[in-house]
Amino acid sequence: MLTFLALASVVLLGIVPEQSQAIVIYTGWERHALVGSDIRLSCSFFSWRWTSEDVTFSWTYRPDGSRDSISIFHYTGGVPYVDNKGPFRDRLEFVGNPGRRDGSILLKNLEFTDNGTFTCDAKNPPDIVGRPSSVRLLVFEKVPIQAGVITGAIIGVVLGLLVLIVVIYYLMRFLVARRVFSLSVSKHGKKKKEGSQQRQGPVPPADPSKIKV
Amino acid sequence: MLMLAGIVVLHITTIILLLVATIDNAWWITDSISTDLWGKWVLTKSEWHYTNLINYPDEYLQTVQATSVLACIFATLALFVFVAQLFTLPKGQRFTFTGILQLIACLCIMIAASIYTAEFHTSESEGGYGHSYVLAWISFVLTFLLAITYLVLRKKSE
Repeated sequence: MLTFLALASVVLLGIVPEQSQAIVIYTGWERHALVGSDIRLSCSFFSWRWTSEDVTFSWTYRPDGSRDSISIFHYTGGVPYVDNKGPFRDRLEFVGNPGRRDGSILLKNLEFTDNGTFTCDAKNPPDIVGRPSSVRLLVFEKVPIQAGVITGAIIGVVLGLLVLIVVIYYLMRFLVARRVFSLSVSKHGKKKKEGSQQRQGPVPPADPSKIKV
Repeated sequence: MLMLAGIVVLHITTIILLLVATIDNAWWITDSISTDLWGKWVLTKSEWHYTNLINYPDEYLQTVQATSVLACIFATLALFVFVAQLFTLPKGQRFTFTGILQLIACLCIMIAASIYTAEFHTSESEGGYGHSYVLAWISFVLTFLLAITYLVLRKKSE
């Protein structure tokens, strides 16, 4: 019974992928980077088959505003071939691990002309039917400020300062009143307590004009 | 009594002017554009369209936004504090807290209008300042006068 089940599952695993064979490729959607920095463009795939020895990775690049793509990287037969004539010569490095289905590349010393779409196409024979996946690269001169961050920061800081000043002011008044209150208690005892409380009434309102010079 | 009513009406008018200056996108106007502080209205083929502000001095714009909003907030706070102080202040005292809040509001709108004048549209020949800009400066004058009034005024002592 058990051997029958094992055989059946092996056969099924062999049959079912035959019909739903499609390799799924994953890259990022969009990447942001600063001019002069390096960026790693990752590419991996999912396939029902074991990773074959003839697995291939291909990267092509289409500049922003252009309709043509140029091939910049190809991995086949266990050997990576990097761009040695195109826009990325001497700036491209293969940092992936094909055995682990990773076909990532490293772009060094980015320039503004590197803005564009990078497409990764992976093939895992006999699993070759699939859609290449694209990642868009955006190169900035400096990291752009989010809309409204400075506005919110200024408003928050000023209002916070206002609240802080008001709180400190009332705290000082309260503490000063308590100090006089406790001093008179220690010196003259209970009777003077009521007397000092009465005198506290008119004194505080005179303080604002003195403190707020 | 009349003086009190007049001051309150003037204060409310100032708040309304500040709100219009802050909210209405009309600091700079040309024949087909009405812009700032939050967006740009562009007239294309007899239809007005609202667009984002791009390629703009970002930090200065956000500072002008923040200070004009703060001016509105402080002016409104000053009104509430004035009404509160009408009831709680001992007789013969000055409305200092109200005056100080109003002074801060005056300072804020002055900063906003000054930064806008210095940094925006300095080299454009077409167009002129819109009604929001004018109202910003008018409310600066009014808040200043009100602040002085509050700092000098004393509560009536019978």
